[in-house]
Order: sequence, then C-alpha cells, then structure tokens
Amino acid sequence: MKTPANPFRPIPATLEAVIPETDGIKSFIIRPEIPFDFICGQFAELTLPGVGEAPFAMASPSTKPDTLKFTIQKAGYMTEKLHALTPGELLGVRGPYGNGFAIENYFGKKLLLVIGGVGFPPAMALLHTAIANKDKLKSIHMCYGARSPGDIVYKDAIAELRENIQLDITVDNADDTWEGPVGVVTTLLKKDEIDPHTTIAVVIGPPIMMKFATLRLLELDFKPKDIVLSMERKMYCGIGQCRHCMIDHYFICKDGPVFTYDQLQESPDIWE
Amino acid sequence: MIKIEKSKFSVFIQNLVGDFTVFAPVGEGRQSAFDEVADAESVNTALQNTVQSPKSIFFPQTEVLFTYNDGDVQIPEAADKPFFLWGVRACDARSIMLVDKVFGRAKQRPDDPAFEDPYWKAKLDTAVILTLACNEPASTCFCHWTGDGPFEQAGDLWAVDVGSSYLIESLTEKGKAVLERIENASPAGKTEAAEIDSLRTQAESYLGDLVDLSELKDRMKQMWDDPAWDDIAAKCVNCGACAYACPTCHCFDVQDEGKKGKGKRIRLWDACMFPLFTKEASGHNPRGQAADRVRQRFLHKFSYYWDNYGESLCTGCGRCIYVCPVNLDIRTVVKRFLDIDAAV
Repeated sequence: MKTPANPFRPIPATLEAVIPETDGIKSFIIRPEIPFDFICGQFAELTLPGVGEAPFAMASPSTKPDTLKFTIQKAGYMTEKLHALTPGELLGVRGPYGNGFAIENYFGKKLLLVIGGVGFPPAMALLHTAIANKDKLKSIHMCYGARSPGDIVYKDAIAELRENIQLDITVDNADDTWEGPVGVVTTLLKKDEIDPHTTIAVVIGPPIMMKFATLRLLELDFKPKDIVLSMERKMYCGIGQCRHCMIDHYFICKDGPVFTYDQLQESPDIWE
Repeated sequence: MIKIEKSKFSVFIQNLVGDFTVFAPVGEGRQSAFDEVADAESVNTALQNTVQSPKSIFFPQTEVLFTYNDGDVQIPEAADKPFFLWGVRACDARSIMLVDKVFGRAKQRPDDPAFEDPYWKAKLDTAVILTLACNEPASTCFCHWTGDGPFEQAGDLWAVDVGSSYLIESLTEKGKAVLERIENASPAGKTEAAEIDSLRTQAESYLGDLVDLSELKDRMKQMWDDPAWDDIAAKCVNCGACAYACPTCHCFDVQDEGKKGKGKRIRLWDACMFPLFTKEASGHNPRGQAADRVRQRFLHKFSYYWDNYGESLCTGCGRCIYVCPVNLDIRTVVKRFLDIDAAV
C-alpha cells in the first residue's frame, strides 16, 4: 500500500536563471530535484526558505517537467524577497495543484484567449499546449491587454508566437513607441471576427478585467459553458483545506482554478 | 455496557496513562479546556462543556509541519503514544468527524483529489475517544437543532454519569479493547437502561424549543443581499473568538519562522472573520467589508459545507455564543434567516 505523501513537504529546487520582464516583473527558472509533472493551468507552491511560500502558475510548457518557469510580479513580502534572488539559490516547490486546462475539451473548436496583465504567464503554458496540438484546433487567437507598453511581458516571444497564432495586443495607456490599439482588452473582441458557436473562450486576468471580458463574451452570444475562467483568489495551502480561496462552495485551489462560467454564474461574489 | 464505581475512576485513568496520552476536561469557566492529565484528580468531572474544544488535540493552534536546514527537510516524529480522550461531548465527537472529512477522509465528488493531512490523521487514527453524555446541557446548547443530542452515541466509547458510577459502552473495536482493561466492573442491565432513559429525558428537557434547519441552506444563499448581514456585521467586532472556540472551524495559515535557508514551517489557526484572511498582495480584498466576512462564516457553516458533504458544519455546542464579546447569538442569526421572529 502506498503511504500517503505529506502534501506540505516541498521538493528542493535550484534557481537557475532570473529574467527581467518589465519594471516590476521577473521570470524565474527553477530546476526541481525530481521532475515536476503538470498540466497547463495548474500551479505550484514556491518555497523561499526562511521567508515562506506562495502559489504561482507555471508559465513553461508542461512537456518540460525538469525546469519550470514562473513569471512573478513584485507585489508583497514574499515576491519582494524573490525579486532580490540571484541564480544558484535553493528554493522549494510542491504541487502541482488545481485542475488545469482540459485541452481535449477544446479540440475541434477555435480557441480564443482573452488575457489581462499578469494573466499572460498561465496563458503562456496554455499556448504551449495549444500550439503543440494546433492541428486539432481550428484556430488560436489571443487578445492581450496590458496597462502600458512597458507592462507587456514576454516581449521576446511575441514574434515567434505570431508565427503560430493570431495575437492582438492593446494597452490602456500608450506612449510614443506604441503603434497598436489603445483601450481595454474587451475592445479587441469584435463581433465580426469571433464566432461564439464554434469558439471556446479562455479568460485570465485581474477580477475586474475577467468580469468585463465575460460580460462582453456573453453579449457576443457565447454560452456560459464555452467561457473558461482561470480564477484567482488568495490561495494558501493548495489542497482545499485552509479555506482562504473559497468562492461559494468551491475551493479555487482544488476545484479550480479553471472553471466554466456556467459553474460559477449563480455565485454572487465571483468578481469580488 | 459495564458499570464502574466512581471510586474506581482514578484506577481507570491510571490504567490508561501508561499506554496512552490521556486528555480530559480541566480548569474552570473560561479557562476550561481539554488537556493532558497524569491522574484522575486533575480531571474536572463537573464541567458542562469546556470553553476550548478538543479540536486542538488533533489540530493544534500552532503546529510545526517541518523543519529545514538547506535542502534537508525533517518532518516531526508522530507522538509515541496514542491519545485517549475522556469526557468528550457528543457534539464535539461529531465535530471531529466533520473536520476529518475536510482533512482528507471524504471526497466532495468522485474526482476530488481529497488530500490527506498526515498530521491530523496520525493523531486521530490511533486515538480512542470516550464520549460522556450531557446530563445537564448548558443554556447555550442547541445540539437538537443540528441533529445532535446530549445522549447521542459517538466516538469509540460512550459513557453516562449515573451519580455514583459511570456506565460505559463500547462502540468500536478500539473502544472494546479499552473496556476490556477495566477491572472491578460489573455488567449493566435493565435497571441501568431505565436510569439512562430517565436521565436522557431530563437532559432533553433543558434544551430550548426546537428549530428546523432544513430550509436554512437555501434561505441563507437566497438572502445574499439581505440587510440582516449588515445588522450582524454592525455588532460583530471581527475578533474571531467564535472561530477559535468552534470545534468545527478549521481555517489555517502557514508561516515560516527562521533565517535564510534554515527554519521551520508552522501551521496556525486562522479565521475568515479577520480582514487579512482574504487580502491579497496587490491590496485587493475580495471580502473587504465586515458584512462579507460574517456572511462567509454563516454560509460556510450552513450552506457551503452542506453543498460539499451533505450536512451542516455546526453541531450546536454553543461555544460561539458563550465566548462572543458582543453577545452575538448564532441561534438568533439562524432564526432571523428562517423568518422566526428574532432581532439580531
């Protein structure tokens, strides 16, 4: 009989590289002691010994369990300490947690990603999987909204992504360098370009953006079951026990983070 | 069922102390709690119910999950002796089983990963729980509302205080093994059964009117925007005393104590009543208002847990009523949502 593993025990992992993305965002490449199998959309609890741990979604392809990439915005105590790290540091990782994206449910359809701000990292993991399964999807289209041109992450990957997918980017506030569209991400969702009956829409971003993206998709006649949401709430344990991430009777960490809108539409506080 | 003279109680406890870590009600009033005892003299056998619930025996207020030093992670050794709990009330015994579901014993649905908590499981799986019937429920008790009762049988052993002796019945194999250790016990018969019936009737007479909670699960959800939540929140001071005293509340936080690369990871009780509970690093707080948090607490107790496990997360122990510094009474809250005349 298999002894139940201790779900709180992290796997030691070495920080291999730190890549600056924007002013407040860096990517961290870590190598866990043992391969870390996951599916796109899942997350892990990253330990910084002596400081604590926090949940982050993997941004790297699920086909590469030996090294993981996390793209992290400096926002609080833990992320501030992470941003100060240099390669070689010993970290810990446990997981993966959450359900992730069931890519096979999208086969035969057009895949539309509606992404805001730091929703790009988990979207990147999904894009890796989607591009690998390109022949099973009718098309891949991503609409990405950033606050300003300086806030756009993965700038170096954009040209390569555009070889495989349609990628539209808008910014809330343009600067002199910006030649693309200006406005919130929902302005990219155009009626004559999107067929709600053959498309699965995946929405990832801050709560307010997810709310308005969902409302716009419903306006375009998407069915609630065809709107996929990767929800964010303060999570802690990752295993559905500590209760921080509850929405209605769901645990974002265990029952999600990926939900379809029809699962959540009756819950009054999903956009809080 | 056996009968053991109270004069033999200290022998009974002494017999267990060698092989078990024995926990029993100790202390008085607001200091009353379940604690480790070395002898029967330390046990407060006259308590109605302890203010601190026995949940802390299996889920301590702070617990070291592991220590680490560079890459070396050490999980603390499990306790060397199994636990024996004397004098748990039926409401608390069932509370432990409700939390047990969350800590991995039950699946919310067939594909629920249901992670098992090894710390909780190691302590509970070997523990022997003796439930003591409540001859005199407190004025704060409402266990009959939640399907519990002062004489409900729960745990591994069930005992009734019949004045000069205890009647003890084993309910599980673990309980039976303990009962077999008792010397000088006499078998209980029809006289004792009649005695139990009479005590049960008397105990139940102490409980107030019965309120049917079957509609509550849906009513609370339907009344999401009801001003009742603001009324409750206006009175509540968000101190979290209710959650800490509650035998079924099990929210926790995890923190690290230590220096770079060396330290320990600790699990601590947390409560959904605290504003920081849901506050995110960005500063955003999904439950930023007191009314949001009060609603979460009651909906979790009476609706959400029900959605996941088919029963409510309250066993009517009444501790939250006893400890609340502003006299918020969960019974009044429930009545208000059931439209039974009650002002919060």
